[in-house]
Amino acid sequence: MKGIFKNPLRRWSWLFMGPIVAAFAIGFVWPFIQGIYLSFCKFRLIRDAQFNGVDNYIAAFADETFTHSFWYTALFAIVSLVLINVLAFTVAYLLTQGLKGSNLFRTVFFMPNLIGGIVLGYIWSMIFDGILSRYNTSILLETKYGFWGLIILMCWQQVGYMMIIYIAGLQAVPEDMLEAAKIDGATKSQTLFRVTIPNVMPSITICTFLSLTNGFKLFDQNLALTAGQPFIIQPDGTTIKTTEMLALNIYNTFYGSSSTSPGVAQAKAVIFFILVAGLGLAQLAFTRKREVQQ
Amino acid sequence: MAEVSLRHIKKIYPNNEKKKGKKGEPQKKSNLKVTAEGVVAVDDFNLEIADREFVVLVGPSGCGKSTTLRMVAGLEEISGGELLIDGKLVNDVAPKDRDIAMVFQSYALYPHMTVRENMAFPLKLKKVPQDEIDRKVNEAAEILGITEYLERKPKALSGGQRQRVAIGRAIVREPKVLLMDEPLSNLDAKLRNQMRAEIIKLRQRINTTFMYVTHDQTEAMTLGDRIVIMKDGEVQQIGTPQEVFDHPANLFVSGFIGVPQMNYFNAKLVRTGDKYTAELDGKKIEISAEKQARLLAHNVESQDITLGVRPEHIALFGEGKDMFHGTVDVSEMMGSSVHLHLQSLGQNVIVIVQTMDLQGVHHDGIKIGDKIAFTFGGNVVHLFGKDGKNLEF
Repeated sequence: MKGIFKNPLRRWSWLFMGPIVAAFAIGFVWPFIQGIYLSFCKFRLIRDAQFNGVDNYIAAFADETFTHSFWYTALFAIVSLVLINVLAFTVAYLLTQGLKGSNLFRTVFFMPNLIGGIVLGYIWSMIFDGILSRYNTSILLETKYGFWGLIILMCWQQVGYMMIIYIAGLQAVPEDMLEAAKIDGATKSQTLFRVTIPNVMPSITICTFLSLTNGFKLFDQNLALTAGQPFIIQPDGTTIKTTEMLALNIYNTFYGSSSTSPGVAQAKAVIFFILVAGLGLAQLAFTRKREVQQ
Repeated sequence: MAEVSLRHIKKIYPNNEKKKGKKGEPQKKSNLKVTAEGVVAVDDFNLEIADREFVVLVGPSGCGKSTTLRMVAGLEEISGGELLIDGKLVNDVAPKDRDIAMVFQSYALYPHMTVRENMAFPLKLKKVPQDEIDRKVNEAAEILGITEYLERKPKALSGGQRQRVAIGRAIVREPKVLLMDEPLSNLDAKLRNQMRAEIIKLRQRINTTFMYVTHDQTEAMTLGDRIVIMKDGEVQQIGTPQEVFDHPANLFVSGFIGVPQMNYFNAKLVRTGDKYTAELDGKKIEISAEKQARLLAHNVESQDITLGVRPEHIALFGEGKDMFHGTVDVSEMMGSSVHLHLQSLGQNVIVIVQTMDLQGVHHDGIKIGDKIAFTFGGNVVHLFGKDGKNLEF
């Protein structure tokens, strides 16, 4: 046992690890545990939380706005995942073909990523409304406009970022291997699909993981662009916000009028966490299998 | 199964474009010619390769040997001249239509495919029927001794096994020309010797013209029917291994071929009538009749020369007339021979001495600091003019 602390680096490791462990515990672990506990409580303020079993979870699953936003989010995540990755890969592929001005284009494509989500949402809502007003409509009037508007916005913002990851992946594919494929008789598209893509699987894993979880967790762009509009008022009086995504639904629930709202929102957030973590891990496991090592 | 003709082949990299040489090859350092058009990587390369011949391109880094091979492969555009495979001009033919195969230094295997898939890949692309693919892959695997690895991925193989797979992928296609770009350079010394022997054997079994690039003169000597020695983008000499060893065209070739390097001395060539003698350190060396005739044919005059003698052609003797003297500086025991580094004539001279002659007499009694006498005959000297060219050529 003496041996472990013999190494001075190990002996002092707590000093280096300490701050980050403490910060992680205070900023993440403790609130996370407390959040799980609160999802089983009725509360307004944390200090007057009362345990009420799985009532919040029952209420969450019974909430039509929640299930609607779930399916809406799922659809959005899948469509944006496919579009963002196909576009990003295409752009990255073109920009690694040695075209003139590639570096300039890389920078230009990356720039939208530097603008915050709220700002993007407002700018794009103006752009969309500017166009749609010619047809006497607005992005706030139709669900499909809201959906595709958000897709366009997210592509615009994310493609440049994913492109950088794909470029790194494409540049790591050995030149010799591509030349071997050329000599073996592969056409450009055969080389792309049978040699290049299988060798950039690590990048594809990262990018699909990021865009899937980004899609599920999307909040500020959603809030700024449509904030859930248009609304449908159900016969029973509940309002379904047709373009409201999960995160926004949780947020709206938390600040809702009912006294049980915060607890229900807390329960939804826990469900949300399990969902995103589960999907992310499943997707990682799926693509990891296809990765190859040199 | 094809002749390859390279006629006045030229490669010029425009000045704005960096030379895209192989990785690991230093960009600068070489003395490549720079013209208004750009950097001349290969200049006026002429070579006729016969059917089934094994030609080795050899030279130091950046000499243009790989570039030449890549031009034959079609991976590098040809800036000037004509490239013919089987009499057909292929300058502008895509690599896949040239009926060539290539083995890379880095193996360039597809890591996501098994060995079998790697080898089958070129055949699949050619839409060869599956049963034929299986037959050919199994056959090639048999030749190369990799049958048991067929279902493995490349990462589970050692360097030597990977290179066999790469060779397998090349030979399943039965190409007209098999190009090899430093295929053994990534292997350790022992494996390299073993693979070299295997390539010699492989060559007997498959019916193909070989073009092989290396910087290793041993590989060049042992593998090639003919060797092309290059430097700074220019061909220095083309000949059989014996020819380039016995009659190097210039100082560069004489130094590049043969280990340890040839010894050089500043000497004088004296012509008296039709007779030539070399003078070194006041002593006369009679030139052999054969060399005399060649010098005379070129009407070589008396001049200062660089006289070259290979270490294995220097003989040690006891005292006598016209002997050179030296002090042993370093003695390297190589097993069957000893390499002696002598301080003599104001310079370093290397001599190879067999440790035991055929009569069983040992010659390993020479110690550092010993003074010894040596000599060499007029039949083994190489005479280079001050421009570095062999005067016999």
